[in-house]
Amino acid sequence: MTNEVKIKIKTTDLNAWFCDKQALFNINMDIYEKKVTAIIGPSGCGKSTFIRNLNRMHETVQGARAEGSVLLDGRDIFEKKFDAVTLRREVGMVFQKATPFPTMTVYDNVAAGIKLYGRIGKEKLDEIVEKSLKQSALWNEVKDVLHKPGTSLSGGQQQRLCIARALAVNPKILLLDEPCSALDPISTGKIEELIHELKEDYTIVIVTHNMQQAARVADYTAFFLLGALIEFDVTSKIFTNPSDKRTEDYVTGRFG
Amino acid sequence: MKNLFEFIVEKAIFLSGAASIIFVVLIFIFLLKEGLALFGEVNFFAFLFGQNWYPISDPPQFGILPLIMGSVFVTFGAIVIAVPLGLAAAIYISEVAPHSIRGFLKSGIELLAAIPSIVLGFIGIIFLAPLLKNIFHLGSGLTALAGSIMLAFMALPTIVSIIEDAIVSVPRSYKEGALALGATHWQAIYRVTIPAAASGILAAVMLGIGRVVGETMAVLMITGNAAIMPTSLLQPVRTLTATVAAEMGEAVSGSSHYYSLFAIGIVLFIISFIINIFADIFLHRSKAMKRRKK
Amino acid sequence: MLKKVFSLFLVLSLPVFIFGCAGGGKAIQIKGSDTMVNLGQAWAEEFMKEYPAVPVAVTGGGSGTGIAALLSNSTDIAQCSRQIEPKEIALAKKKGINPKEFHVANDGIVVVVNPANKVNKLSTRQLSDIFNGKIKNWKEVGGKNEDIVVLSRERNSGTHVFFLEHVVKLGDKKSPNEFAPCVLMMPSSQAIVEEINGNTAAIGYFGLGYLTNKQKAVAVNGVLPSVKTVTLGQYPISRSLLFYTNDEPNEKVKSFIDFAMSKKGQEIVLKMDFVPIR
Repeated sequence: MTNEVKIKIKTTDLNAWFCDKQALFNINMDIYEKKVTAIIGPSGCGKSTFIRNLNRMHETVQGARAEGSVLLDGRDIFEKKFDAVTLRREVGMVFQKATPFPTMTVYDNVAAGIKLYGRIGKEKLDEIVEKSLKQSALWNEVKDVLHKPGTSLSGGQQQRLCIARALAVNPKILLLDEPCSALDPISTGKIEELIHELKEDYTIVIVTHNMQQAARVADYTAFFLLGALIEFDVTSKIFTNPSDKRTEDYVTGRFG
Repeated sequence: MKNLFEFIVEKAIFLSGAASIIFVVLIFIFLLKEGLALFGEVNFFAFLFGQNWYPISDPPQFGILPLIMGSVFVTFGAIVIAVPLGLAAAIYISEVAPHSIRGFLKSGIELLAAIPSIVLGFIGIIFLAPLLKNIFHLGSGLTALAGSIMLAFMALPTIVSIIEDAIVSVPRSYKEGALALGATHWQAIYRVTIPAAASGILAAVMLGIGRVVGETMAVLMITGNAAIMPTSLLQPVRTLTATVAAEMGEAVSGSSHYYSLFAIGIVLFIISFIINIFADIFLHRSKAMKRRKK
Repeated sequence: MLKKVFSLFLVLSLPVFIFGCAGGGKAIQIKGSDTMVNLGQAWAEEFMKEYPAVPVAVTGGGSGTGIAALLSNSTDIAQCSRQIEPKEIALAKKKGINPKEFHVANDGIVVVVNPANKVNKLSTRQLSDIFNGKIKNWKEVGGKNEDIVVLSRERNSGTHVFFLEHVVKLGDKKSPNEFAPCVLMMPSSQAIVEEINGNTAAIGYFGLGYLTNKQKAVAVNGVLPSVKTVTLGQYPISRSLLFYTNDEPNEKVKSFIDFAMSKKGQEIVLKMDFVPIR
């Protein structure tokens, strides 16, 4: 099953809480390099909480904490010495609701992340912006409106703008938290196509409540229920021949 | 019977709402009636741009430019002090302070608003004026700066409260978006949150100005009330408000001095009105942004 | 439902009843000069001891305020530390008011400096030039080399008007002299007292009754101010303190004025550091 596929992220006994309420129970999981891993499960099962721990966004919420280890290329990201800010450059995130920065243009939105790290020449910046927008299949649609506000684009375009923004800082891993749940089918299709292209270069983890989407885009799928990882396997196995009854009940629609 | 009750209640509510607008309009008309009477005797431009305020002399001179400049200087000074302080305090309260002391801090700032302006004026005379006199080697500490400092205290609660509101209204998703890109907490605040709250911040500044421009008691006590054309904050000034307060009592009803004070009232009314319109525009923009992201 | 409306009506109309009935024993209203306000208050207290059925209310605000109140019929007596002006008389006539004057006491206006200031005497000409801005530095009148900080009362003060006419304009109504624009206009005599106490370069003026040993009164034209020098007419900046009423005052008000001008009233004048009329 694994062949020469490398493990990019390995979580060991990952537990997470919101104040006193435990949201994740002993998650042990591997994310493989340059593959798409989907996280599925009913609402409230901890999918978002899980991936938010992979870039330490979980701890930015008041009262939230996590224990356990998450190894990125062998290094534990929860170690004191590991700078969360540097981590987030390597592990990019796109949220469910597309949030281009409201006071910035399309161009500035894409450049926003790069500008955080220091001065960079205009030419280089133009290059990076164009590259990122091409990577997120948005360049042709916005190349003439780069200086319009980011919020003037359509919903699907805004989400691809956020993807371009995340890609601009050159992460190794892309976390997508239900990126299409607010979009129409056509935009959704465009983004799924995008994921197929991006996995050549990036490790992708996508949270989705849409099982058909997981089946379409993911190489591996993890099924979460009530904060625990129930089953993790190659996508086709999860959907055609799951090992755990609970997984089977979920994917056949007996509960949602 | 029920329909009649509904009708009465509806009309009563309408009247209450209309009443406030009607009162404002009536007050303005009253001001106009008394104030415009001045311009039968005095040239409008001599009033607005004249540099000599000698209302009880023979012949009287009604130039209010020094008074306008006095109000402008004191207001400007107060805003320059209060806005950076208020912005910093608001950012601290909404973004940095631990949740447990947030409420306590907010109440503390509100407490400033509870201090009567006359008490601040009193503190100004007893402590601030002598202090300024010694620090800057002035003839007297009764200056525009003294007024600005005290008025900054008065404007601070308004400014902090509105900016804090604006910052808290910025959807969390923007800040998260910035953090997820690898921004530090501070980078997220000043590159994303603050610009997003810009309309609210502008509204706070405008309302702070409005609060300060209309202040009478404190400026009457500590700015020296000298009707000169100021060239620095370290000089005494005479504001529009203090002039009306000091002289209204003795202006004989129906004299040109009396009308001139109403004319000053019109000027103050118009200034406040314009400021409030701008504040409103900015507040609406701020709310529209909040709504757009819902 | 009807009961609710009725009780609401009752509650809302309560203030009307309360305020409507408050006009019990109507008090004598005295408004005007800040210089005279303490004196008026002292008279009122003694008067009310003898005539407890007649309350007296004394407020300040400045002589100008008192006259304005008289002209709008909101006071029985306007107390003034200056005479009513022809303009004001004309305006009064227009409103059907006929001001009647009563001379109830005398006062000296002292010119004060901080005790650390070595200047002891000034002429009225020098005073005029200081207050109209021609003389700017103490060294020009024998003092230290520092800029003079000039303090004055506001325009609503009778003391201001009197000083303007008799010192700044040197008694000549047609004189173009005015208080210089840079003169600090203080809201009360007490404010002037406070500033003088703390400022060695300051000069100001107020009624004799406000003088304490924390300030130094300068001799004007060689004469130091005191009850004696004012009574004898030697001190050059003296003035009459007056009451104005609308026409002949009614019985209540007349009895108060008579009291003020009586021997007992004049003893109070002396006690308050003013100068009796005889």
